[in-house]
Amino acid sequence: MFYRLSGIKHTRYASSRALWPVTADRRIMQLLVALALLAPFFLSDLYLTSYMLPWLIWTAAALSLTLLMGMAGQLHFGFAAVLAIGAYTSIHLTRAGVPFEFALLGAGLMSAFIGVIFGAAALRVKGLYLVMATLAMQYLVEWVIINVPAISGGAQATLSTPDVTFLFMPLQSDASLYYMALLWTVVVTLLLLNIKRTSFGRALVAVRDKDFAAAVIGVDPVRYKLLAFFAASFLGGVTGAILAFCYYQAVTPEQFGFNVSIQLVAMVLVGGLGSVIGAYLGAGFVLLLPIVLTNVLAFLATYEWIPISFNLIAHIPLMVYGALIIGVLLYEPLGLAKIYDNLRKYFVVWPFRHTQS
Amino acid sequence: MKPFTRWLAGMAGAAALGLSGTAQAEKEPIKFALLQDFTAVYTFVTDEYHQGQRDYLRLVNETGGIEGHMIETIVRDTANEPQRGLEAYNRARREGAVLVDFFSTPVSRAAVNRVLSDEVVMITALHGRGDASEGETFPFVFPMMATYWSQATVLADYIDQHQGGLEGKRIALVHIDSPFGREPIPVLRDLAEKKDFELRAFAYPSPGTEQSATWSDLRRYRPDHVIIWGAGGGQQVSVREAIRNGIRQENILSVVWLAETDARNVGGNHMNGVKRFEAVGTGTDHPIIQDIMEHVIEPGRGQGSANNVGTTYYNIGVATMAVAVEAARLAMQEFGAPLTGEKLRDGFRMIENFDARGMMPPITITADDHQGGGYGRVSAWNGEAWEPLTDWYAAHQDIVWEEIEKDAAGFREGR
Amino acid sequence: MDIQFLIELIINGALTGLMYSLVALGIVLIYKSSGVPNLAQGAMVMIAAYLIWMFAHLLGIPIVFAILLAIVGMFLFGMVTERLLLRKMVGQPIIMVVMLTLGLESLLRGLGPGLLGASPKSLDLGLDMMPIIVGDVFINREYLVGGIIGGLMVAGALLFFRTRIGTKLRAVSDDHVSSWSVGISVERAVAISWGLAGISAVAAGAMWGSVQGVDWTLTALLFPAVAVVILGGLDSIYGVFVAGLIVGILGSVIPGYVDPLVGGGTRDVVTSLIILLTIIFRPHGIFGREDIERV
Repeated sequence: MFYRLSGIKHTRYASSRALWPVTADRRIMQLLVALALLAPFFLSDLYLTSYMLPWLIWTAAALSLTLLMGMAGQLHFGFAAVLAIGAYTSIHLTRAGVPFEFALLGAGLMSAFIGVIFGAAALRVKGLYLVMATLAMQYLVEWVIINVPAISGGAQATLSTPDVTFLFMPLQSDASLYYMALLWTVVVTLLLLNIKRTSFGRALVAVRDKDFAAAVIGVDPVRYKLLAFFAASFLGGVTGAILAFCYYQAVTPEQFGFNVSIQLVAMVLVGGLGSVIGAYLGAGFVLLLPIVLTNVLAFLATYEWIPISFNLIAHIPLMVYGALIIGVLLYEPLGLAKIYDNLRKYFVVWPFRHTQS
Repeated sequence: MKPFTRWLAGMAGAAALGLSGTAQAEKEPIKFALLQDFTAVYTFVTDEYHQGQRDYLRLVNETGGIEGHMIETIVRDTANEPQRGLEAYNRARREGAVLVDFFSTPVSRAAVNRVLSDEVVMITALHGRGDASEGETFPFVFPMMATYWSQATVLADYIDQHQGGLEGKRIALVHIDSPFGREPIPVLRDLAEKKDFELRAFAYPSPGTEQSATWSDLRRYRPDHVIIWGAGGGQQVSVREAIRNGIRQENILSVVWLAETDARNVGGNHMNGVKRFEAVGTGTDHPIIQDIMEHVIEPGRGQGSANNVGTTYYNIGVATMAVAVEAARLAMQEFGAPLTGEKLRDGFRMIENFDARGMMPPITITADDHQGGGYGRVSAWNGEAWEPLTDWYAAHQDIVWEEIEKDAAGFREGR
Repeated sequence: MDIQFLIELIINGALTGLMYSLVALGIVLIYKSSGVPNLAQGAMVMIAAYLIWMFAHLLGIPIVFAILLAIVGMFLFGMVTERLLLRKMVGQPIIMVVMLTLGLESLLRGLGPGLLGASPKSLDLGLDMMPIIVGDVFINREYLVGGIIGGLMVAGALLFFRTRIGTKLRAVSDDHVSSWSVGISVERAVAISWGLAGISAVAAGAMWGSVQGVDWTLTALLFPAVAVVILGGLDSIYGVFVAGLIVGILGSVIPGYVDPLVGGGTRDVVTSLIILLTIIFRPHGIFGREDIERV
């Protein structure tokens, strides 16, 4: 009914392989893009800078990780370190006088090169062992950043981002920072959507499904694993730079700790492994759920409706967060993206539930 | 001391007025945002600290508020995560908070640029950037108690004055391996040169629950005095290891983060004689705490367990709010309602010789000096309580200010 | 350099390492039977320590009985966790299982400190704090007790695997399907291994809680424990013992000599490098079983 599938017949491969072959999906996308573009005009600065902006940036980070974990099947528990490398590189480059555009590129490349070293472990092992290896690397990178004052910024271990311009647009106002982040997230999203349709993407999927089998059909697993690490780390590095410049504006090592790595993995998994829309949903879930819960509980607490100690109230978001992760994994292992998909399928055939979509 | 009694008298009058009329109900409240870490790294202090803050604000409200304005608190957990702290901060700012206290170094550091541009007062007592003492560069940030650098100099000076001088001594600094742990090193280095003693720093890995290798090494260095520099669970491990490795209790000196809980955890009488820096007096034996007991705890309006009243961190919480309320009162008297961040900042800068009725050192905050003089004292654990050994004093502020200026200059250059 | 310094580092390191083994043992027991890497083991240690504290200090039960009660509690907790959560994850990709245990960790991190208080608690086992002194070598008495208990737990686990029920567990760890076919209840075996992991969490919680106090930082023990498990082999009980010693000794001796040179705590670096190098050169650890993969 809403989707009006009748009459949609694809006569050419190009049209059937379009990103959104159904008109209604395309309309929804256009609406969302329009909303995102107009957000600075109708959202208050609170929701723009504290919800939309971090959500977009973390989505870009989750998408970068999706490329690696979802498409290439390489598990990575140290992605915060990759973000950190990007953030620190971009700051040091811009302070050395490099224009921001090139600093972003430099951040991506630096992360990519160090990220490939992470990937070197992937050539030997996979699955759980790769989790552990990347975890160890996270600790190593963190240690280096903390222990080399030249990187972390001296006694206060804080580096403020200098004022920069991007393509002659000064990045100062909330709106300009938001558009910068939006631009990057859209770029990453389009990249991810299209990578699935290239030979590179299909090779990654082949390696994910079974690397030996991929080798048999002529896909070099070594090469594609390293390429996956390179590409994902590049995106992660630029995202780290965006995170530093558009959101934090002052970088400290704690912003890229082990718990952030776990959160990123949670975003990818809760959203749905390998799904682009899942990265959006997962990032929103992991990032915003504790914030929303904290606010709701604080609101209830002011009216003293719940007669429990503040200590317990403060810990409830943590419990709910953990419980919901468990719940999603148990009842919908394909993540929030699958829930969205189910909803969509329901409406595609609505009201005739028994027809085939 | 005096202004406070005067103020209390005024409050009693205001309360009487409040009872007879409804004047106070119409005045809009002042909002303080206490956006702290209740669930992660700072849990060892937040509970008691926050309880002290809330109880004191309750006392102020019970006795008539600030010039008749009630204080409302906005409380959120940030879990020590900058992005959650920034969200809570932006929300609190929109709700009209004029003062914010994160009590978390990472969150405070991430928020510095924003409070400076939003003109909201941020207090960073015993955490955050030490160089924020430089009021010109950080007009809206108030460390308002001794920075870590001042704590280091006070401890060193105590050894110098009361433990046989520093010259020729071997001083060991055992610190957690983090920026916080390394903070006192430059100041102590400068002092070592000036006072001609030997300094060696020993780092243990965070979170500091296992330090045996560090202490085996330290014992062979045969230090005369050991300064321990950590926080939370690592502190009591440090004290135990120190005693185990034959360091006499009176030669163990600690940064401000050593409290009753740690003494309990070390157990027995082992901790007797261990010294620490103290920024605020401990115990219930202060008029201000007595007032809280009378007006807040006994009527059952306290924020948490009554056992916590008078503990180290509780009293620090009380002190931070006492200073903030005093600043707000001065600002209201000078500039009138409504209170804004800018007025509150000027209120802070008008604070002169304020000592929360004897509970803390008399601090004077000026436009240049947001640290308030860097006062503190040394106290020792006597088996039951922390017993002050000295009067309030500050030491070697010239060296401290060198560091402050250096880092503040770095911040101005964008670091 | 000073030979006694080296000896002291080695002894205290070895004992600490055995205390890490206490945490690692739980991970191995679970992995051995069901192939689940339990990254919530650190949180289980924390919950165990909170339980002991609750029985001993809140309810005033003597410490020995408090520990016994905690053992019962954690055994049940392990079984229930397996029944309610992990059993439903059979057949899911490993990353899902890992994430589930991380979700469990978060849940427990909220539950323990939320219900029983987040500020650090002391857990007094009545151990003497003063060290045993041999020449110029100081041996930490708490670590000695912890190390001995660690060794005993490993020995106990090895003996347990020789009992009838243990034999079943070994069969299950070899192959689930063939175990079923000879009438072994795989579900029960896996549940029991979770219960045993709960018991080892109690031992770890008691010892580490006494050393560092009880609060959420106990969950951070996961990291050294993971190093022990990886080095020793994910499914080897011997490995826990040997790797515990190695991780402990290296994590004590190397920082002992290197820290003064670099001016920072290098133990986490050593631990990270142990994990990395093991995975690069011998992924299945010293005693672990090599995975054979079929296309």
